[in-house]
Amino acid sequence: MARLGMVIDLQRCVGCGACAFACKAENNTRDRAGGQSHNWADFLMKSEGTFPATTHWVMPVLCNHCSNAPCVEACPVTPKAMFKTPEGITMHDDETCIGCRACQNACPYSNVELNTTSLDGETYSVISFNAFGESTQPRWADDTPMIAGCTATGAATAKAAGANPPMKNAFIAGDVDPVRKAGVVEKCTFCHHRTSKGLQPACVEACPAHARIFGDQDDPNAEIARVLKAQKSVVLKEDKGTRPNVRYVGKYSARG
Amino acid sequence: MRLTRRAFIQASCATAAMIAAGCATQATTPVTSAMAVRKAKPAGPAAGEWVATTCQGCTQWCAIEIFVEEGRAVRVRGNQLSKTNHGHCCPRGHLIPQQTYDPDRVKQPMKRTNPLKGRGVDPKWVPITWDEALDTVADKMLELRKADEAHKFCYIRGRYSSTSTELLYGTLPKIYGTTNYFSHSAICAEAEKMGPGLTQGFFGYRDYDLANMQCVVAWGTDPLASNRMVPNVIHFFGDLLAKGAVICVDPRLSNTAAKAQEWLPIKPGTDGALAGAIAHVLLTEGLWSREFVGDFKDGKNLFVAGKAVDEAAFAEKETYGLVKWWNIELKDRTPAWAEQETLIPAAQILRVTRMMAKAAPKVGIWMGPGVAMNPRGTYTAMVVHALNGLLGSIDVEGGVLQSSSVPLAAFPKSDAYVDEIAKGYSKHKKIDGRGAKDMPAMMNANPGSGVVTNNIANAMLKDPGAVKVLLASWNNFNFSCTGAGRWDKALAKLPFFAHMVTNASEMTQFADIVLPATYNSSEGMSVVSNMGNCYGYASIQQPAAKRLWDVKQEENEVMWLLAAKFKAKGFPNLFDYYSKEFKDPETGKTPTNEFEFMEIAAKITSATLWKPKEPLKGDAPLAGWADFRKKGIWAGAKYSYKKGWGGKFATETKKFEFYSETLKKGLAAHAKKYETTPDDILTVCGYVARGEVAFVPHYEPPKRHGSVDEYPFAFIDYKSRLNREGRSQNTPWYQEFKKVDPGDISWDDVLKMNPADGAKLGLKSGDSVRVTSTTGAIVTRLKLWEGVRQGTVAKCYGQGHWAYGRIAAADYAKALPRGGNNNDILVDDYDRLSGATARNGGFTGVRVQKA
Repeated sequence: MARLGMVIDLQRCVGCGACAFACKAENNTRDRAGGQSHNWADFLMKSEGTFPATTHWVMPVLCNHCSNAPCVEACPVTPKAMFKTPEGITMHDDETCIGCRACQNACPYSNVELNTTSLDGETYSVISFNAFGESTQPRWADDTPMIAGCTATGAATAKAAGANPPMKNAFIAGDVDPVRKAGVVEKCTFCHHRTSKGLQPACVEACPAHARIFGDQDDPNAEIARVLKAQKSVVLKEDKGTRPNVRYVGKYSARG
Repeated sequence: MRLTRRAFIQASCATAAMIAAGCATQATTPVTSAMAVRKAKPAGPAAGEWVATTCQGCTQWCAIEIFVEEGRAVRVRGNQLSKTNHGHCCPRGHLIPQQTYDPDRVKQPMKRTNPLKGRGVDPKWVPITWDEALDTVADKMLELRKADEAHKFCYIRGRYSSTSTELLYGTLPKIYGTTNYFSHSAICAEAEKMGPGLTQGFFGYRDYDLANMQCVVAWGTDPLASNRMVPNVIHFFGDLLAKGAVICVDPRLSNTAAKAQEWLPIKPGTDGALAGAIAHVLLTEGLWSREFVGDFKDGKNLFVAGKAVDEAAFAEKETYGLVKWWNIELKDRTPAWAEQETLIPAAQILRVTRMMAKAAPKVGIWMGPGVAMNPRGTYTAMVVHALNGLLGSIDVEGGVLQSSSVPLAAFPKSDAYVDEIAKGYSKHKKIDGRGAKDMPAMMNANPGSGVVTNNIANAMLKDPGAVKVLLASWNNFNFSCTGAGRWDKALAKLPFFAHMVTNASEMTQFADIVLPATYNSSEGMSVVSNMGNCYGYASIQQPAAKRLWDVKQEENEVMWLLAAKFKAKGFPNLFDYYSKEFKDPETGKTPTNEFEFMEIAAKITSATLWKPKEPLKGDAPLAGWADFRKKGIWAGAKYSYKKGWGGKFATETKKFEFYSETLKKGLAAHAKKYETTPDDILTVCGYVARGEVAFVPHYEPPKRHGSVDEYPFAFIDYKSRLNREGRSQNTPWYQEFKKVDPGDISWDDVLKMNPADGAKLGLKSGDSVRVTSTTGAIVTRLKLWEGVRQGTVAKCYGQGHWAYGRIAAADYAKALPRGGNNNDILVDDYDRLSGATARNGGFTGVRVQKA
């Protein structure tokens, strides 16, 4: 059985954001609200040091698909709504999720509510929650125009396009729906709907730097295994004992 | 259920964890309890198809593909066949569906009902039909022709397609009869072109052989974020870093600076001093390229600091005037001198110079707008670019190249449709002031040939009758031009203005009629060409997505319909030209409606590629038009090196000129026109050079608006890596990931100031501050940041919209901006030798106070 993982080469990464956009497009993640970023792919970033010896680093972040996943442990539903697949994906079942957010609370890489420090790359959440009783795509429910009779509206755009959101990527739903319902959490699935069919995750495919490598860490012929063998790699918050399957090699700044 | 709030993950913790963590031995099976492991339900990717088209989010014009599901534009990637972007788009490309489906798009033509015009004045728009809109525009234009005032019709071009622009920019003014048609180019990076132009006769944007380059110097540009070729640079950047010689000259900690081995945070506007010192070291240490530049006849290096050299002692090869340059400019430009000017330590200057020399000739001095787009930028562009000459990297493998192109066909000749009235107006003087004594605008070394875009507002203000009818497309000069307030005043007085745009932009607020444009990357059709990574290419732009609104492509569809209106009103020439001369290259049929016209025009320009008379060198032959539409791109053969070597540079001497006879000739011609001397011209244009120094690449101390006492900070303007030329700010994704611009904060707009300056002024991060220049003031948020030196402040261009949409603006109805627009404080000034607008080099001083 495969042990899926991702390696992010920080020397190759230029912090451009293409991965995060590709993820949002692929997975139809909604706009930020209520302390939820809905960014399954996001960034930690920081400027350090004193001018002119200033450095700046960026780390792309996503669900670590931990081998010892606190979110899975915390899920109170039977069978678990947050579960591990045999390949190692930390997967979420929209149908059985009760929206208790215990997973979000347990995840060392998430916050139940993000504050403004998430806006400059200090904090992030890999698990976001869709509030009960609210539209999960509110931009496309709004029917007020900016200029009456002259400009479109979100709702009119969705209606004319025949989809909500109008740029909806209508992938074939498994455990996770292309657009999530209210009252469930959501997170990265390693693009299971793609990777189970031989495609790369959207963030990997979109990376113009080839900084992301996805594959089976146990397959010696896989690029990911070769890179992990050749280079020293690190994980986020190793002290938490979560055994992440997203690993980092290289360093972002040559002067760092 | 309410859960306790968790501690935030601190970035510092993340760093600590990285340091602490080694390559842990990994378990081969998940350690999570077996009860929690089960197979995922089967799922699959979406059904759809990739449609080839072209991104126009920056000037690279990348060949891309849009994934289309049931007529909807969903996802974006680079064209898989592109050798320029390697099958990837930069982050900008991913914003195309966001812009296509912007809820604030203008969905049908509209007209203003409030005659009063001004910033914050509600135009009181009402929807109208295309028929009414084009009737009105045609009537206004034909009235001018009847009144013998056709030259008072003006067209201004913003973003355009490199081929179909000829249907509007190229043809409409010519057949209608006006000299007043202008491109946006001079507000972009035109002064850059003067560097290679006046040294090697190439007035264009350079290409860089990054695959073979050993050392790259990003100078006044952040090529990971802007200045063309972004996906190409990102593609090669990891390898360049691994080679160990990435150097960045930038006054602020840019994306490139963040990753580079060497960051030279230069004092704004002193780039010419740094370049002079590097040249000085290359010569005194004997590090110049013998192959390109030549050598002393007796082999002994006579370049000694402070000492003049006999010109006869040196035998040049591909260059001209090296010893002149040394004697006139370089001999005293020591690193110690440069340290005083630039604040870059002499030791670092020495170190990076040796890095460049070690890599030479496989080195690229990538000169960008930060070097050139300032009031004396022509000379700075020359001196920085001239380093490529010394290093021998001109036109060689791993070096700095001229552009590549593919053969596209021109549209049929229109001369027979130009009537006597139109011919008469072509003799009028253009209102942008090009060629005036104080505005040589000598693009291609030809005085009066360059556009002076930002001066149009001044002309309108000086003579409110100069323009009576304005047509403009895909531009937003009230936002994107320095001294933006001048455009507000100028356009408020304009009798009639029709704007072709997707959104109700700042400029649109002054329009009388709005003609809503297609979003051309996903809805229009044309053929676009560009180059990069040693290849020229043509890329199709085609309607990947179903149009949701009553919008039209401005260059082909609207022109056809406007021409039809002209014909109905008794002026048939334009319509006759379009409808009789444009023949489908496959069937010979002429167009009968705007859609056929759009496609036939695209077929005409590209037929040279898919129906060539002789086999072409480059990509595999295209089977025909359908094959071109499917593949979307055709690239020519790889660039052949050393194009200009052997006396083939397009300069006066046919050599790479360290002493520019090319500039000397152009300047002399301009001076002669005004019966004066080049020195007098340079004086009125604000340059400090006099005499012989005017003809060599040299350091001009920075010009500054506002005294250091009154305006203590030099303002640094730069571009967001998410800017789609100032149009993407109404997408939530732009706002959400604004933090990818180093130092910036998402959903905000921050002025970055060194913490030591903040402490002196009693200001802290998060404060709302008023930033004031001699031209204007903005209010924005402050961020104290170690990425800028004391005495400078930096802010990204992009935010500060007071119109455009409900996300871009804080409040569209009240014209309240989100953040502040840099162009409200940047002063209207020019590099007058090129006509380019100044926006860099710290030429605008500002003061910062708590708001």
